Amino acid sequence: MNVNVEKSDGLSRLQIEGEMTVFYAAALKKDLLDNLADCSNLDIDLSQVSEMDTAGFQLLFLIKREAGLSDKSMRITAHSPATLSVLKLYGMDEEVL
Amino acid sequence: MALDPVIQTFITESTELLQEMENALLELENSPDDKDIINALFRTAHTIKGSAGVVGVEHVERFTHAVENILENVRQGKIKITNDLIELLLNCHDHIAKLVEMATSDEPLSEDFKSTEDDLQKQLHVYLDAVSDRRIKTQTKEPVAREPEFDSELNTSSGKTVKNKNWHISLRFGRDVMRNGMDPVSFINYLSRMGEIISLTTLTDTIPSAEEMDPESCYLGFEIDFKSDFDKQTIEDVFEFVREDCKICILPPRSRIERYVHLINNLPESPLHLGDILIKGGALTPSELDEALQMQDVETVSFDDGQTEEHTRKIGEIFVDEGMVHPPVVDAALEKQKEQKEASSRESKTIRVDTVKLDQLVNLVGELVIANANINQNAQRIHDGGLDESTSALTRLVEDIRERAMQVRMVPVGNIFNRFQRVVRDISRSSNKDIELIVSGGETELDRNLVEKINDPLMHLVRNAADHGIEYPEERITKGKPRKGVIRLNAFNDTGSIAIEVSDDGGGVDHNKITNKALDRGMVRPGQVLSEKEMYNLMFEPGFSTAEKITNVSGRGVGMDVVKRNIEALRGTVDVESHEDSGTTVSIRLPLTLAIIDGFMVGVGASFYIIPLDMVIECVDLAEADRRVTDKRNYFNLRGEVLPYVRLRTLFRENGGKTDYESIVVVQATGRRIGLVVDELHGEVQAVIKSLGGIFKHVEKVSSATIRGDGTVALILDIPKIVESMGGVEIKV
Amino acid sequence: MSKTIMAIDDSASIRQVVGITLKKAGYEVIEANDGKDAMDKLTGQKVHLIICDVNMPNMDGIAFLKELRQNSNYKFTPIIMLTTEAQEGKKQEGKAAGAKAWIVKPFKPEQMLAAIEKLILP
Repeated sequence: MNVNVEKSDGLSRLQIEGEMTVFYAAALKKDLLDNLADCSNLDIDLSQVSEMDTAGFQLLFLIKREAGLSDKSMRITAHSPATLSVLKLYGMDEEVL
Repeated sequence: MALDPVIQTFITESTELLQEMENALLELENSPDDKDIINALFRTAHTIKGSAGVVGVEHVERFTHAVENILENVRQGKIKITNDLIELLLNCHDHIAKLVEMATSDEPLSEDFKSTEDDLQKQLHVYLDAVSDRRIKTQTKEPVAREPEFDSELNTSSGKTVKNKNWHISLRFGRDVMRNGMDPVSFINYLSRMGEIISLTTLTDTIPSAEEMDPESCYLGFEIDFKSDFDKQTIEDVFEFVREDCKICILPPRSRIERYVHLINNLPESPLHLGDILIKGGALTPSELDEALQMQDVETVSFDDGQTEEHTRKIGEIFVDEGMVHPPVVDAALEKQKEQKEASSRESKTIRVDTVKLDQLVNLVGELVIANANINQNAQRIHDGGLDESTSALTRLVEDIRERAMQVRMVPVGNIFNRFQRVVRDISRSSNKDIELIVSGGETELDRNLVEKINDPLMHLVRNAADHGIEYPEERITKGKPRKGVIRLNAFNDTGSIAIEVSDDGGGVDHNKITNKALDRGMVRPGQVLSEKEMYNLMFEPGFSTAEKITNVSGRGVGMDVVKRNIEALRGTVDVESHEDSGTTVSIRLPLTLAIIDGFMVGVGASFYIIPLDMVIECVDLAEADRRVTDKRNYFNLRGEVLPYVRLRTLFRENGGKTDYESIVVVQATGRRIGLVVDELHGEVQAVIKSLGGIFKHVEKVSSATIRGDGTVALILDIPKIVESMGGVEIKV
Repeated sequence: MSKTIMAIDDSASIRQVVGITLKKAGYEVIEANDGKDAMDKLTGQKVHLIICDVNMPNMDGIAFLKELRQNSNYKFTPIIMLTTEAQEGKKQEGKAAGAKAWIVKPFKPEQMLAAIEKLILP
């Protein structure tokens, strides 16, 4: 897993590449929270995610919730088939998107 | 699916395992408490059964299952190893072996066979029943802690059912599921394929604050309304792997309203939140929910399983960590199993190769050797330094390849030696003799093809030794011998061949008995004096058996002659040596391989002959002066030793191109030496053996042929036969 | 991209059946003879699921599982244990070590595929 960051004017664009799975959950959690703390708007591009599992889903949910708690905006700008299918199964494709 | 190759693999593998099983059983006889042996034994039955089941060989699976059961109990110390049990297990082993053999046939099992099986089954059950009696007694004492049966339909008479025609499934995954490699999303995906998910709500309420949230823990819960025609068991089975770590509640369509009450009570979320979800998903109508919430306060539903305490708790009490706290993973008591045996770790470094492939390889190597010889010949003609260098490099490589290729097919002869332990054991039991089989030289290697073919002759010799050789204990004691008789099976390398000896310390051959029998059978004339060797040879004549009593072990008549024929077919020899009261030794000599020999090529007239190199002792010139003398007496003097000789020219009626110079090749076989007179010595060659066609089957003194580099044929001499026909001079070592 | 499954069993015929079934179902298959062989073959590549016999020489399924979980690449890899009903004790031991998915031998190919599909997404 790899997270690319692009920052401009309080907007951070994250692009996550590879696996968003339990194997990388600890690293991903830190990356997401650190980046959220650093910006006021967070865009996340998931188009390069090859696999996502429940751990990945939970982290998306968590970051969304954290963003809400700190009055920041968080958007998912693009999905990959892997992320979309998990969100659909969880009935969360509208909520987290 | 195409299972045929799989069945073949299964048969090969099971045959090996059965051998291991037998070895283990025999070892167990001497050390009945050895845990390692018991484990190894269990593993053999376990694997055979498992494979049989997967491959679909049901009769093997069924029968081996019972054996495995017994062994599992032995492993747990519930059944003790006794000689009777070993006997029974050996019989079972034999039965499994037969079943495995029949794995490919579609024929129904014979009646006889079935009755053997029934009989064995009955005996096995005696052991198993004894154990299960005890087990039942102990088990009833343990109360079985179980979750209350949410959905037991005990009280069908009372209560109102909901209108919902769908299943309602509540899931609260345990914290550790992901750490154990399980992903809730996969289960839900699987479920979605068994019907239609009408509604699914993902509960994220329990995901803690960012700092506290452990990204590897699972916090999710689900409320699912699900339409499916599958039965409850099938739907439950979707979650079988997470059943123990999760809270799962599955309510069938039209469940009683009390069940929803109970559900709401047992879930950690607030009733109102849950109620919304249930209504949203269509599980309950709003009025049903109201009813349920009222009932919830006075939960009186009779779950008659004696766990009323559980059911009268209020939501608040139930809320806290019900089903959400998991017993810490118990990793105590699990001892590390790192003591692996050196020997068994070698296993993983080997691969299984079809022998047909090996044979093809060896054949090709044979052709390569011939082609190389051809190149050499041509190169010699051309006389080019560079070419000579290349060809000699090539020759070295070809030789290496040939050697390696042959080695690949070599297997230790000990593999078959161990089989005889069983034979000897069975004979000593059935005949009330006390016999020990001592095996040595099992590491000696032999071409795989030979090993297979040597099994039957050896089996016969070992049986003979046990049955006829070794005396009864009383007789041995009167003779002043130890009570226990010993049969030795020994193998060793001996000048390019393999020697295998079967010897016993039994009664030896009764010379009178043999002579009388031979007279009876008209094999010798009355008054004919037999040398010791001639007499032993009689034993290899067809229809000769001296056993007075016909036993079920070594039968009558057929035997030694078959042994001899089989060995000779392998280019081997058999010899017997026997001394009355001190025992008999049968020595078998075999070539290392059947495919290629190192030979020594000689020329006679226009023809070429090849003598197996390992039988060549030396070459000497036959001086003109000697020739004339020796012509008369067919003996010549080799440094003071008198050796008989034969002219190949005479032997094979060669007429062409007489020369003035002749050489003698001194050869040795079966402990005797003779000289072969030839015209020319061509030196060492590698000869790829081509067997002679059926037409030449009766050509004596030639074992096979080879094709030379230039395409001409050279005959390979059967030196033992020639030596035998000459008498030869025995060598004193 | 097809998913990779490792099949560990000391029985060649079971490996063969499992291998054929999995390949037919579109999985990549890595076979291993026993736990030790499997550990040797796990060199960091992605393996989506492991099917492992319990009773094996060299390193049995449970010892393998414990060692597997020490390796960060395979710490959370789903694992299905193959066992026989006779091995209740082993099953308890395995469950304590974190092996929750069990298939009882003999099993039909479709049972195995079903078990796999419960554990990993297609």
